[in-house]
Amino acid sequence: MSAGLNLFLVVSAALFAVGAFAVVARRSTIAMLIGTQFMFAAGAIAFVAFGRFGPGATAMDAGPAVALLVSLTGAAELAIGAAMAVLLYRDNRTFFLDSDGE
Amino acid sequence: MPLIGALPQPITSAPLVLFVYLVLTLLLVMALTSAIVRNTLWAIGSFASSMALVALLYLTIAPFLLFAVQLVIYTSVSAALLLGLLRETSGFERPLTSPFGRRWIAGGAVVAALGAVLVLVVAATSWPTGLTGSFRPGLGEALTTTYVVGLAVLVVILASAALGSGLMLAAPTLTHARGGGPLRGSGPRR
Repeated sequence: MSAGLNLFLVVSAALFAVGAFAVVARRSTIAMLIGTQFMFAAGAIAFVAFGRFGPGATAMDAGPAVALLVSLTGAAELAIGAAMAVLLYRDNRTFFLDSDGE
Repeated sequence: MPLIGALPQPITSAPLVLFVYLVLTLLLVMALTSAIVRNTLWAIGSFASSMALVALLYLTIAPFLLFAVQLVIYTSVSAALLLGLLRETSGFERPLTSPFGRRWIAGGAVVAALGAVLVLVVAATSWPTGLTGSFRPGLGEALTTTYVVGLAVLVVILASAALGSGLMLAAPTLTHARGGGPLRGSGPRR
């Protein structure tokens, strides 16, 4: 029993799918924001896994460095998205993107 | 192009493999819960938990700096941002069941059991430093030398995001018309 590159890539793909599901299927802006964060995290996990186990692991700092930059970019996206959600709520008194809700 | 040298070996230490599988399973369960559940507060809680699990995952396969940044940014700042957003707008939804209801007790028992398993595995693991890659210096140095341009661009992006979100939030709230709808510039009232 071992934990290698394949395991982390499968989990990364599954996490990305969960995030994409939240973005596509949910109508709440908060749920969609959370979904985008999962997609960012999935990409970062893949980068870290390649940095640790992949063929390019001779430069072991490359994967974590890119993952760090991805995480910070996700934080910036979250800040903007949260502000947009507040504006949407001020306008419509709801977080849902349509008037029907979920 | 042929590869030079051998590929890095996967993790084979049994306690560490068990810990990784446990973290990955919990991560996917928490993420799915966060994407499915309709109570916003619970969704944010699941999101924060899953990001803390990602940080735990980084602790096993990535440098310590990445673990710290992930824990600080996602588990605290992101959750605080979302909770602040919820508090400033619709407020917290009051749960339908009391804190001492049967569902809360069952949920607490499950969380306690999972936490106990996690603590047991973490305590039983020998955590070889060379295997985990933790506490290995070099990432900070690489960020300030090899990736300094990317870091500088990211600082600009973060500053722009902070400025932009602040400006959006500081925009004056539009007054409401007598019919209840908001005014939109000089257009017709709705």
